[in-house]
Amino acid sequence: MDAPAILRGVGLTKIYGNLVALRDADFSLRPGEVRALIGSNGAGKSTLIKVFTGAIAPTLGRVEIDGVAAPLGDPSEMIRRGIACIYQHSNLAPAMSVLDNIFLGRQPTRRFGFVDSARQRREARALLERHRIAIDLDATVGNLPTVKQKEVEILKALALDARVILMDEPTAWLAASEVAKLHDTIRMLKTRAVGIVYISHVLDEIFAVCDTMTIMRDGRVIAESAVADIDRPRVVHLMVGEKLARESAEAAHEKRHPRGTGEIRMSARDLTKRGVFTEVSFDLHAGEILCITGLIGSKRTELLRTLFGCDRFDGGTLQIDGRTAAFASPTGAIAAGVGFVPEDRHREGLMLDMTMTENLAMATLDRFHRGLMLQRRRMSEAARQAIASLSIQPPDGSRPVKLLSGGNQQKVLVGKWLNRAPRILILDEPTVGVDVGAKAEIYRILRRERERGAAILVVSSDLEEVFTIADRIGVMVAGRLVRIHDADDCRLQDIVREIGGAAA
Amino acid sequence: MTIRPATVALVLFFAATLAFFSVSAPRFATATNYENLMAGFSFVAILAMGQAFPILVRGIDLSIGAIVGLVGMVVFDLTLIFHVPGYVILPVALVVGMLAGALNGVLVVVLRLQPFIATLATLAAYRGLTYTISGRQLVPGLSTTPITDRWIVGIENYFDVGGWLGVNKLLAMPWFPLSFFIMLALFALFQTLVLATRFGRDLYAVGGNYEAARLAGINTGRVIITAYALSGLCAAIAALIMVARFTTATEALGTGSELTAIAAAVIGGVSLAGGIGSMFGPALGAFLLGAVLLGLTLQGVPQFVQQIITGAILLAAVGYDRLLVVRRQRRLAANLAQAG
Amino acid sequence: MSTINGTRSPQIAQRVAANALPLAMAAIVVVFAIAQPAFLTPDNLIGIVRQVALIGIMATCMTFVIMTGGVDLSVGPVLAIAGLVSFYCLQADLPLAVVILAGLAVGVLIGTFNGLVIAFLQLPPIIVTLATLSIVRGSALILGGPEQHLIRNEPAYSFIGAGSLFGLPFSIYIFALVAAVMIFVQRRTPLGLLVTAIGDNERAAHLSGHRTRITKTLVYAISGFGAALAGIIQSSQVHTALATYGPFGTELDVIAAVVLGGTSIMGGNGSVARTLLGVFFLGIVNNGMNILNVPIDIQLIAKGAIIVIALAIAARRS
Repeated sequence: MDAPAILRGVGLTKIYGNLVALRDADFSLRPGEVRALIGSNGAGKSTLIKVFTGAIAPTLGRVEIDGVAAPLGDPSEMIRRGIACIYQHSNLAPAMSVLDNIFLGRQPTRRFGFVDSARQRREARALLERHRIAIDLDATVGNLPTVKQKEVEILKALALDARVILMDEPTAWLAASEVAKLHDTIRMLKTRAVGIVYISHVLDEIFAVCDTMTIMRDGRVIAESAVADIDRPRVVHLMVGEKLARESAEAAHEKRHPRGTGEIRMSARDLTKRGVFTEVSFDLHAGEILCITGLIGSKRTELLRTLFGCDRFDGGTLQIDGRTAAFASPTGAIAAGVGFVPEDRHREGLMLDMTMTENLAMATLDRFHRGLMLQRRRMSEAARQAIASLSIQPPDGSRPVKLLSGGNQQKVLVGKWLNRAPRILILDEPTVGVDVGAKAEIYRILRRERERGAAILVVSSDLEEVFTIADRIGVMVAGRLVRIHDADDCRLQDIVREIGGAAA
Repeated sequence: MTIRPATVALVLFFAATLAFFSVSAPRFATATNYENLMAGFSFVAILAMGQAFPILVRGIDLSIGAIVGLVGMVVFDLTLIFHVPGYVILPVALVVGMLAGALNGVLVVVLRLQPFIATLATLAAYRGLTYTISGRQLVPGLSTTPITDRWIVGIENYFDVGGWLGVNKLLAMPWFPLSFFIMLALFALFQTLVLATRFGRDLYAVGGNYEAARLAGINTGRVIITAYALSGLCAAIAALIMVARFTTATEALGTGSELTAIAAAVIGGVSLAGGIGSMFGPALGAFLLGAVLLGLTLQGVPQFVQQIITGAILLAAVGYDRLLVVRRQRRLAANLAQAG
Repeated sequence: MSTINGTRSPQIAQRVAANALPLAMAAIVVVFAIAQPAFLTPDNLIGIVRQVALIGIMATCMTFVIMTGGVDLSVGPVLAIAGLVSFYCLQADLPLAVVILAGLAVGVLIGTFNGLVIAFLQLPPIIVTLATLSIVRGSALILGGPEQHLIRNEPAYSFIGAGSLFGLPFSIYIFALVAAVMIFVQRRTPLGLLVTAIGDNERAAHLSGHRTRITKTLVYAISGFGAALAGIIQSSQVHTALATYGPFGTELDVIAAVVLGGTSIMGGNGSVARTLLGVFFLGIVNNGMNILNVPIDIQLIAKGAIIVIALAIAARRS
């Protein structure tokens, strides 16, 4: 195990605007090593991976391959040096065939740049055989289900015959049998001295397949260890940090309010959307926080979107305050007193170029006009109050939202609904990419809303978060809400086991 | 690359159009009419195929009409003022078109301008440049002098294919214009380029998922600039065909042809979302537009109604394309349902 | 906290970039004024405003469309058909109010059609408005034929484009009114805020409970209104209605003015007031070059170069 590192990152720092995504991170990987990269969402794992693939150039620091400095921010150079990656988000050309996607950007050619289709097909067949994957090479990728697309993504990385393969949550969309197959593949690659970086939230997978681990938090590498030398509670502790661990321990002593006041605000019965989620039933009460957790791809987000009227459901019933509801659009849901904070605040939540004041007023524009006139002054006044009560920094309503840090952006996103005093507040991963301080403040805001009597439904992958804020915890696996626990009556380990239910 | 339902629909629609006009329009099913169709729309097909390249990489080229004008004027000047022989002018014209196109690509890639805006600006600039170098202004006497260079005027030539094949006794075959054969040759060349070469794969990858292409190590900038250069090249070829036909060039040559080309490309199923389509659609789309326009003319429909129908066809084409997308999404959901 | 070096110089560069257009405008005015004193005479300045009024009205009304990430290529033919409709209404001896309303209604109808197709069927704006460009031009030619229709003995109608009030052409007042209303709508009404929001992030606006598709339809209707109004003014100005008015290229001039004003063709960032700046910038450049006898070809090249430079600066700004 003392071979020299094939991949090394030294002093890597990446700054986006005024968000530091990666701070002085060191990383190294030896041939044949399977290294887990773990940390909460926003810890900087994906940023680190992107630096290694050349997708982004670090602000500071260098990358060495075989001890030689590699050019930064140039994907083709990294591929040439044998670095491959299975990305978390799809990196396929949807209108092209599986075959062409596997060889994207490096189809074997004959003279005059003609693609050597026969050779391409031969190599692809051999690859499929070697890794025991069955897939129609001529199918158009865009027509394949997500699971199959993920397999194409994996094949694409394997086809490179790379010396290092970076895997960013490769199992998020896979079923149990495929996960096992992938792990076999990893063990096989290991024997060929391929170095592997493995990102996963499922600790079972990490303890099953990895040799070593690097733990990140807030953009820093905070611990490195051999998997054999560490136990799970210690890993979780390192991931979330002393402060949050202490806080969550304290929070655990706080009074929880399962079923809140007992008044049912939202009631779902056998809610089904074909091919997405199946027979989801729950009651959401006034004055409680119900957290739904599960793996990426367990369709939690899709469930929330349906509850908010973005998508229709095809079966079951949904009641709000005892009345049957079938929202055709978010407009209807909002009128019924529902507020929704989407997961991707940049793509779906905020108007980045607009000011904080405008963003905070976005869900309540109907209250800020008299006749045709927009009442800017009242808007600013309301924003000033919101900024103070949410302690958004800097407290300057005229600042474009894109200049705020992730945590403050998230507070704006939550804050825009608070003006409405929503009866039901739905949040999807409310603290992704948010620093620890802002996290605590968002929790405080949510608790305050709960005391006010709002019914709060949160989807979160971050288990510490779930245990910190939830009154009840629901576990979603492959489109089914398998169980709802009272938070007081369950342990972290149980939830972890249930989440991985399908995968383990 | 499988044949898309949109392509099948286009072929069927084209056949139906020909059948409809053959029955309903007097003199539509005649050799002369088909000769007009080939002579009048081969260069439109060439422009449409050229336009397909930028659209495939999720761009658009509004400047091709202006490039046609510019190249036309270069030819005019070189032959009438400088008496450069035609076999020199031809390659020069092609290079000018390609450079003008490549400049569009550079604006898009290097200055990161929106393709729509970049080519809008060069549309103005190239048209202005055309006026600047206009031999009609510099040497007014030349404006009525026809171009007679064999190499250039020779492009406007017709071949008695029916005679060669010896079928003239059986049916009246139209004489085929050289421009039609040029179009066919370009079609074969470009179709091979996009479907069988590395460049073609890169083109579809860049248009289909830019980020994936970049991360796969494709030199996206070079692909995009090449796409615009090819569009410019096609504009130059179209210009040569037009100059040969009119035996002169005016400053306004090619005005508005970008819209026809875009229309033909979109009718031909090249998606503005990028990464979808080939060369067959745009070429056939151009002739479809041509057949409709000629057919309506023969039916005595005023030219104005033809514009309305052109617009309606364009709307129907994008609408149909959208319908296919929606259907595909539905089918995907259904597949998912079965899998789950 | 890690400090980031060199933040100051980009900030300065950004500020310069943000004000590049007014600065360039000032510079050009100075150059023209020195090169040709006639440039700064009141007559010439009024002339500039009158010349840009038509493009100006269309550009202010199209700014919303571009702010939502769309574009409207159909303004040229809409301009023509609105003039024709008004002409026929005049011939039918309808009251002036009806004449004007009829002309405007045609524009609003066509714009609404564009908007509905774009917003509800989700078809690309370039292609949809390209199609309506063709359809409306054809309709205008069917309606009016290729010949000119003289508008004679209609003093009230002629006043719209050719009359003057307090020493200024009346069309300038209309332009000023439209500009003022559009600036007001953008800055002081919920609609204006919503248009910006849709351009910035349409999904987020939808998820905030706004009926984004209806708003998008509305902005195309406004653009159609602007084109129709320009058509009425033009037919009144030249006492003629003609189906080929607003020739190909009109829409490009309008879009150029909007984009020069700093409205991003991708949507979001934008402002009607800055569109006016773009309109006047192009107007001044055209006028100055005319006065200096710069040939038309150089003018065209200059226009292209200006657009490229302005946008390259804007791209750097973001």
